[in-house]
Amino acid sequence: MSVLRGFLWLSLLWLAGDLVVSLGDLPLSPGVVGLMLLTTVFVLRGRMHEDVAAAAQPLIMLLAMLIMPGVVGVFWVLDQISGHWLAVGLALTLGTLLSVASTLWLMRRLLPATPSEVIATAQDKTS
Amino acid sequence: MSLAVVDHLDTPMLAIALSIGAYLAGMALFRRLGSPGWCPPVLLASLLLAAALKAAGIAYVDYRQGAQWLMLLLGPATVALAVPLYQQMHHIRALWRPLLVCLPVSTVLAACYALLIAWALGAPPELLASLAPKSVTAPIAMGITERLGGSVPILMGGLLITGVAATACVSLFGRLLKITDQRLLGLALGINGHAIGTVRAFELGPTAGAFASLGMTLTGVLTALMMPLAWRLASMLG
Repeated sequence: MSVLRGFLWLSLLWLAGDLVVSLGDLPLSPGVVGLMLLTTVFVLRGRMHEDVAAAAQPLIMLLAMLIMPGVVGVFWVLDQISGHWLAVGLALTLGTLLSVASTLWLMRRLLPATPSEVIATAQDKTS
Repeated sequence: MSLAVVDHLDTPMLAIALSIGAYLAGMALFRRLGSPGWCPPVLLASLLLAAALKAAGIAYVDYRQGAQWLMLLLGPATVALAVPLYQQMHHIRALWRPLLVCLPVSTVLAACYALLIAWALGAPPELLASLAPKSVTAPIAMGITERLGGSVPILMGGLLITGVAATACVSLFGRLLKITDQRLLGLALGINGHAIGTVRAFELGPTAGAFASLGMTLTGVLTALMMPLAWRLASMLG
């Protein structure tokens, strides 16, 4: 029952997101608005909703399966990008190489090594 | 004969059963192969599913129509990402200053590098719209690409390649630059390699995994907020 109640909350928040998107004519997906609404609710309450957490866990574990119908379509659209193999290939591989390098460089300069985090890292290694 | 059977099964349940069966078979095959890092299990499952559809003579359009019922769950599942995000809230509170600078910059760069390269090599606008959210976690990225007028299947292929490339690049740079900070490696994996990178981060340790899921969700939300507006502006100017 807890999972069902949680699922009802998630569905209602998605519907609320859909309402916000269509009323505000926003270029957002309803799920993302629902995600932000739910995070706001958690932050305002200062804790998570037990039922929502119980429903969220199995749904998130199912995510990989839920995107499969989209992934399978790749094999039917390969001819559409046949003229742009180089553009797609380089954009994905070289683009990712550059963005990983930028993130690491930027975070290395900005992230302070706080004592508590050093301990946390040490704990990860021993466990 | 198999064709005749399929023709009688004109119900979404067939697409749902095929998807679940292929997913479970793909996961089993993935474990049998020793869980290779370069090959996400969803790719194996999709290959099996594509083979099954071809063998049974089911058109992708028909399959997708039935699978829509399954994909409806993507909506509440996206909302559910608020739970892991809230669980990482103490990290956001502790590091909000560097995150506030790094996340938007990294998110914009992840999209811009790819878009600039593809655009310079002559990719048409529809293809650019399919590649733009390539570093965003799939459920959010699908919504973005639909808004931009791109193709979801092309995006999914791009997501797979990006995830695998990001995982390889982070281990490469991590070794070259001798980075051992789990927070850094985790963030780089989550921001650039979405769910595929996050899975790898959890293999490095719980701290890396936590920071990867944080980076993944925030990148997704930020991109969803910024990209459609930027796209509207760009198409108005262009």
